[in-house]
Amino acid sequence: MLEVELCGLKMKNPLMLASGIMGSHVSSLIRISRHAGAVVAKSVGTEPREGYRNPVVVNYAHGLINAVGLSSPGVRAFAEELEKFRAEGRSPLVVSLFASTSEEFASLTPHFPMADAFELNLSCPHAENVGMAVGSDPELVKEIVAEVKRSTEKPVFAKLSPNVLDVVEIGKAAEEGGVDAVVAVNTVKGMSIDIVSRKPKLSNISGGVSGEAIKPIALKCVWDLYKELDVPVIGVGGITTWKDVVEFILAGATAVQIGSALFYSHRIFYSLVESLKAYTRSTGESLVELVGKAHTG
Amino acid sequence: MYCVRVEKVVKHSKDVATIVFDGILPSYPGQFVMLNLFGYEEIPLSLSSPRSVTVKAVGETTRALVDISPGALVGIKGPMGNPFTPAEGKALLVAGGIGIAPLLYLHDYLIAEGVEVHVFYGARNADEIVCLERLKSYEVATDDGSAGFHGNVVELAATKDLSSYRKIYACGPEPMLKALYKLLNERELLNRAEFSLERYMKCGIGVCGSCVLENGLRVCVEGPVFSAAKLEW
Repeated sequence: MLEVELCGLKMKNPLMLASGIMGSHVSSLIRISRHAGAVVAKSVGTEPREGYRNPVVVNYAHGLINAVGLSSPGVRAFAEELEKFRAEGRSPLVVSLFASTSEEFASLTPHFPMADAFELNLSCPHAENVGMAVGSDPELVKEIVAEVKRSTEKPVFAKLSPNVLDVVEIGKAAEEGGVDAVVAVNTVKGMSIDIVSRKPKLSNISGGVSGEAIKPIALKCVWDLYKELDVPVIGVGGITTWKDVVEFILAGATAVQIGSALFYSHRIFYSLVESLKAYTRSTGESLVELVGKAHTG
Repeated sequence: MYCVRVEKVVKHSKDVATIVFDGILPSYPGQFVMLNLFGYEEIPLSLSSPRSVTVKAVGETTRALVDISPGALVGIKGPMGNPFTPAEGKALLVAGGIGIAPLLYLHDYLIAEGVEVHVFYGARNADEIVCLERLKSYEVATDDGSAGFHGNVVELAATKDLSSYRKIYACGPEPMLKALYKLLNERELLNRAEFSLERYMKCGIGVCGSCVLENGLRVCVEGPVFSAAKLEW
């Protein structure tokens, strides 16, 4: 009842681990893939990258705010790490990529023969020259997607930012470039200040808000993209309960990604799977039948 | 994150100090905090009592923390992580270097609970041995022989009968813990041991994945204290 096929990837359920959470080591990816339908590794670029100094993540009442700064061991070391996933892996592995130019993006894909798909980070809100910096320009997005598609036969997803005037315009540009699915959304720009020390809590001053707070924002983006695009939409942003999953699917998401909710429980994938099984049993419909149902009165 | 004020700084040596806060952090021995030294960095530190951390200067941030002035504010996330589990009867603490920090807290806690506690405490040399005045019963080992047993702390432990200890707690550099693991495994005492581990941490709250072990467990949430038998070394 939960199985879903996403751009040819066979998934045991529509729940994917979002990029940037628990995705730096194969050991944690394997642990999560026991229950998740797919896992997305942490974004990797051409060169090793330190990221920002701690504190890089703060939690507050309605979610998390992070400015990790795309820390990464670089393409070679990370490909070596992920190699072990092929031997032991269970669910499909999506490798997330960041870069500043289309050529740089395309140069990354051959390093990851163990990947089942690629996700393009066009949306990290707190790093210079990469992420949102390249993902806010529709022409550039189209060019990047097209170039990456030429470099690989595997499905390519574009992860979009909500920090733009019109997420649909960027989604359409990705579609014109030949993207296989869009992922909506990355974090929303935000910050937090400690009132005793009177200083911003993150070393980078501001970062990206994730978790429950951004769910309505993400849901609206998924709704709009589903209406205007032909490719599948992967929903992400604040999904914490099984009801959130159902909402995103009804808005048009074929699959969803979970990240910040791991803060509440590392068993979140197991819990959601069990709850969704009970839900589909009660309605007698499989989840794929519900995709975009809220659009049809 | 919230702020606490530094009430007192006790210098044990040039490089090691105990930073005492102006209030108690409700916690158990073995738990850690993410301490944000403003202008520097947020770092994970084990509590050495309910209101202190004991730190060795090994880099820029820890150096600044060791030299901090009373009255300064520091940011705290936590206390977090799994603590040591209590013992009954006799307990052994095995410390390597600054690994003494969480064991000082555990030592005081167990003594208050009426546990008979003995400590094996190893360091490179006599200058690196700190806070002995807080320990009731101890033996020291130094690599250069400048104090106590000449050799490392696991070599010291290997000369002893360990079978009377109901619990064995350890914290120190990973090679030391691995050697201790091997010794306890040979003596069939592994199921009595709990190790506090250290890993590079970014978020400290279980989401970033920087501190995961080879078995997929996170040091910040599932640790830092692990049953030695679960480590599969």
